Amino acid sequence: MSNLPQKELVTGQQWYAPDTDIPDVHEKLYALQNQCTDCNICEIACSLVHSPEGELNPLLSRIRISHAPSVNSRKAAHGFGFVSAICHHCGNPPPCAEVCPVDAFYYDPKTNVAVIAQDKCIQCMECVPACPFDVVFVAPDGELLKCDLCGGEPACVEACATRPEMNNAGKQYTRAPVLFHADAKAFRSVMQQKPEKRDEVGMMQAMLERGEISSSA
Amino acid sequence: MVRIHTQYQSRFREITGIPGETFELEQPLVSELAWKIAGKYGPRMESLLIDRETNELNERGTMYVDSKGRRVYMEDKLADGETIAFLIGIAGG
Amino acid sequence: MESRLLRVDLTTGEMRAETLPHALFERWVGGSGINNWLMWEHFLKHDIHCDPRSPDNVFVFGVGPLAGTGSGSGVKGRITFKSPSYGIFGDSAAGGKFPYMVRFAGFDHIVVTGRAPRPVYLYICDGNAVLCDASHLWGRSTGETHTLLQQELGDYPSHAHTLTIGVSGENLVGMSGVISDASRIHARGGGGCVMGSKNLKAIAVQGSGSIKVHNPQGMLKWSADFRRRIDANEAIYGFKRRGTLGAVEMYQHIGSHFWRNNQGCLFRGDEVRSDNWVRKYHKYSEVCSADCFIACDGRYKLDGSESPKAAKYAGESFRRPEYLTTASAAGALDVRDWAEVAHWGKVTNEYGMDNQDLSCSISFLMELKEKDLISDREVAELFGRPQRLEWGNMEDIEACIHDMATRSNLFAELFNDGPYWGALRYSQRMGRNFMKYATYGKGGASFTEEMRPFPTWMNNMAVASRGADHLKGIGLIEKFQRRDLSKRYFNGRTEAADLTIPDLKGASTALIENQVALINSYGVCLFHWMLDPAGFAPEEYYQPAFTEVTGIARTPAELMRDGERICNLEKAFNSRLGLRREHDTICERWMYEPTTEGMYPGSVAANMFETVLDEYYDWRGWDRTTGLQRRDRLEALGLGDVAEVLATEGALARD
Repeated sequence: MSNLPQKELVTGQQWYAPDTDIPDVHEKLYALQNQCTDCNICEIACSLVHSPEGELNPLLSRIRISHAPSVNSRKAAHGFGFVSAICHHCGNPPPCAEVCPVDAFYYDPKTNVAVIAQDKCIQCMECVPACPFDVVFVAPDGELLKCDLCGGEPACVEACATRPEMNNAGKQYTRAPVLFHADAKAFRSVMQQKPEKRDEVGMMQAMLERGEISSSA
Repeated sequence: MVRIHTQYQSRFREITGIPGETFELEQPLVSELAWKIAGKYGPRMESLLIDRETNELNERGTMYVDSKGRRVYMEDKLADGETIAFLIGIAGG
Repeated sequence: MESRLLRVDLTTGEMRAETLPHALFERWVGGSGINNWLMWEHFLKHDIHCDPRSPDNVFVFGVGPLAGTGSGSGVKGRITFKSPSYGIFGDSAAGGKFPYMVRFAGFDHIVVTGRAPRPVYLYICDGNAVLCDASHLWGRSTGETHTLLQQELGDYPSHAHTLTIGVSGENLVGMSGVISDASRIHARGGGGCVMGSKNLKAIAVQGSGSIKVHNPQGMLKWSADFRRRIDANEAIYGFKRRGTLGAVEMYQHIGSHFWRNNQGCLFRGDEVRSDNWVRKYHKYSEVCSADCFIACDGRYKLDGSESPKAAKYAGESFRRPEYLTTASAAGALDVRDWAEVAHWGKVTNEYGMDNQDLSCSISFLMELKEKDLISDREVAELFGRPQRLEWGNMEDIEACIHDMATRSNLFAELFNDGPYWGALRYSQRMGRNFMKYATYGKGGASFTEEMRPFPTWMNNMAVASRGADHLKGIGLIEKFQRRDLSKRYFNGRTEAADLTIPDLKGASTALIENQVALINSYGVCLFHWMLDPAGFAPEEYYQPAFTEVTGIARTPAELMRDGERICNLEKAFNSRLGLRREHDTICERWMYEPTTEGMYPGSVAANMFETVLDEYYDWRGWDRTTGLQRRDRLEALGLGDVAEVLATEGALARD
């Protein structure tokens, strides 16, 4: 919890008082970029679940993952680009919510995630530059798009097509999606290991065994 | 007792880690060979090799051929010294 | 289901958007089905016997309703046109993100007619289209054109994706393809030549629009289930890593390669194997076109140490070669080094040419040279310089590729429509008959796989609507010797899986042609079906997805009839052009020259050819003697109007 004075925020049903202790978001989305196949199914699924009319459009997605070996995007050393833009679900108060002039952000009590109430949002776009990771997007019709973790069961994770294997020959094996929903602390603890020990597949194997991420395959 | 040689390619080689080996079988049957290989390399090989619904060889996306290029089935008899190749079945491109 | 069609007349610069009505989807499913119908309609108003390189030809692009809807089965765009190289029906599919982005730009189909007065590219963005000057792109490779267009168009409102032609298309080389997103080629039939003849260098799209799905929740549920079925099949994980390269090993075991102009059917040397590719060249994650659960594509970048020849190409990066890229280089031309095979793929792609027609043209000449049927002087006359024509000599081969693309010598003039027309023109010119060394099937199209011991494949090569090709009625039941599938589709009979007899081989072609037509019309990739994670029957497992997306309820049996209807329209197109039974044929080498190695040495196609062809016509309900369609069968498929057209042109079987 930050020591900064907090703004008054709204949940769907209940108001948070300024001194309410809003817990940090522990479960976040992560993508293993070197395993991603650039299929865009996560974006398609995201736009579909958020559209009651069945509008399917990657530009309506709340996450963006793209290999863009195009001239306009940054390139990795090996010549192929990769851009992943996933909401980090910052600690309280999240910068996007903090700058909102109409308090259109509320907290989903189930996931502790800041969500935009579209009926309150005036589309002033203050939150877009406020986001330190550039992951509040503007839809073609002006709607502000921010990841809401689908209330705890992200559709993108369910749809993620690529499932690298977590195994050595002969060992019990399993697979997990490249885009996954995991406990932030556990993820950090593995990522803080020395790079030579930190191969992502092995890391995910360990997390799967501890039950920190789930594998639906 | 017959001796059967195996050749593993693509997916099969990734799982076994070797290009091929020799098995000694009591019964000269493909089924015995298949279950021996599945037993040796664990559940991943089993799911690749054997269709658990029918107890036949898994035919989806795989190919098992004898030295003449003919597909083998669970109930087929094997001659001593025969070589069976385990392949990924795909055509075209 | 409703979607939009863009009509572009390049002669006048006039463009018009139309709405494709729901009824069209009920009749033609979408994708290639609707493409075929749009072309059929065009040639009711224009002369079907026109020169395919003239402004009267039409170029249709289309995607199907399942493309990019989260189905996870890939996205395939399809181009349809009258083929300049074979002179008959022509179409070709490719992936990439272009077909996916077209839908977000507001159109599912594009019909291009006429000829622009100067080079242009068509830019489509959010329902608007404009023709732009392409003089700065003319003469550029497909990769450069793609990059320049992306630079020019920027990343707003979305990434730009392109369909481009290379230098060979500009030079009206018959075997030119169209490249989707710089690396995926619509190869067969000469679509690039048609675009070139229209002065259309590229189509670029950007879009921020949406695709409407009839029942999004149902579609999400269906695709989650489909993915689970794919994941549950362990064999998929072998395919993901190597794509169609896995066929290299399999074909080596069953003797199905095409070696040195099909003088043999096994690769020589041990280097060109998918396992070697994975071990030495596979350094980056698999990638896919869009909306695909499998992602069989890959990228490579050579560091020069991979193989003896790799040093020459150090730093080169491109898409991993596919099986037929490999078969044309390592097989037809006997190139034995992976780095060179990959380089062959890159070079032909940069020029934008069909690998198979090109490699068979070169290998035909190499065989003549090897057998001393043509002299050094005659070779020099053909190429305008001394040319060694040695098997597997990549420098030599690269020079031939360049000649062909730039159409700079007699070789390119004679062979630009592929090995059949090339061999014919060359034989006439030399006054000697070289036809027995040319490998081709229907329409003169070449194909770089052995088919003599495989009756369904030889039948495919003879009857495929777009000229010799396996992707219209790919003989999987037979090649994989799948007794289970044979039993399932033919009332418990296993003959379709037995290579030694002709029974049920023509039936398999007819059955699979219908299934493939269906998959192509959905706008998804064929390989999800070929790998068989969901039980091989696309009419069953895609049926719910089709309904969720379009709202059209169909039973699997009705869908198979939709597939049959699509195939029959392609047939009708060719019948109007005068194709009859005698055109459903294959070359002398395949027909009469026995194989010397592989699974059944001594095989010739002639043993079973006519029997299988008869059976195919019977299953199709077409006349055996002429190969023409019958009115009653067409009417039963709801194609009474098509029968009417055929009857007036004498292209319908007499009762």
